[in-house]
Amino acid sequence: MIRKILIVDDSPIARKMLKTCIPKDQGYEFYEAGDGKDGFEKYKDVKPDVTFMDLTMPVMTGYESLEEIIKYDKNAVIIVVTADVQIKAIKKCMKLGAYMVLRKPLKREHIHSALSNARDTLQKAD
Amino acid sequence: MNIQTESMLTDEEIEIFQEIMNIAFGKSAADLADVIDTHVVLSVPYIRIMHVTALPDYFREHVKDYKNISIVEQKFWGRFKGDALLVFSAGAGKELVSMLQHEEKSGFESDPVDILERETLMEVGNILIGACVGKIAELLKDVITYTPPMIIMEKYSCDAIYDSQYNPDGTAIVLKTDFSFDNGNVSGFLFLVTSQESIRWLKDALRIFIEQYE
Ligand SMILES: [Mg+2]
Repeated sequence: MIRKILIVDDSPIARKMLKTCIPKDQGYEFYEAGDGKDGFEKYKDVKPDVTFMDLTMPVMTGYESLEEIIKYDKNAVIIVVTADVQIKAIKKCMKLGAYMVLRKPLKREHIHSALSNARDTLQKAD
Repeated sequence: MNIQTESMLTDEEIEIFQEIMNIAFGKSAADLADVIDTHVVLSVPYIRIMHVTALPDYFREHVKDYKNISIVEQKFWGRFKGDALLVFSAGAGKELVSMLQHEEKSGFESDPVDILERETLMEVGNILIGACVGKIAELLKDVITYTPPMIIMEKYSCDAIYDSQYNPDGTAIVLKTDFSFDNGNVSGFLFLVTSQESIRWLKDALRIFIEQYE
């Protein structure tokens, strides 16, 4: 089951855009962070079921944050949401342990299917 | 910079545009990575609004080795119109030539080095600018036409900014995205200079864009 969702992105508008793509009737609790370091700290605090992670961020990039979170919790479900659509960027994320990579600009249907995949994965893990 | 020009885009509009720049530059990087086997490292884009006449000073302050940069320039026009300037660090031309020759051994070996450098910079500039401006236009539902790229090489580039053809009364929205290549010493940034005329359209376009997410 997914209850807590953490959104890590340096752009407040990007966080807002992502949130509006997530169904409102599921009773999710949202947490937000504005850079990779804050994202890692919030992850430890909140223990979200799903984390959405941007890549290009100040202080600590999404790559580093992803790496830290996976080191801390190898089962973390981290969905990278990025404008960086270079193959190498996507491969690097998957190698670091990302659950999946979604491209910006976001589409509602992509977020919906990412969340339902994540739900299945989490159910199997239980 | 005065309050009037600062207030031409609201904080929210700047944020939306920043996110659009972010997406657009991501597309540029991917297009370039298709041509050169490299990973373009992107930075957080940032937006400043300034008077056109402040541009040369801004360049001098923010560009390392200012006297040796190369600039690829392309004008674009649709409802959003302006000038895209891709500023390459000193020595970028040589570096890019060697990266490209590594890729395709045959080809322009007989050309003199400076022509090779110019052509390479123009080609790379064309890809980066075209993808970036094209993506902005696509996201904001505009259709854009470009002039062919023009290059201003090394020691002439600082004069070129001073002699630039910008209307001295104009306001520039400076959109800056830094980039560097992970396997080479090439770095630079992209500037889009647009005029007040485009700003009114831009405000509407940004509002329409964000409405999809409300
Ligand atoms: Mg970002």
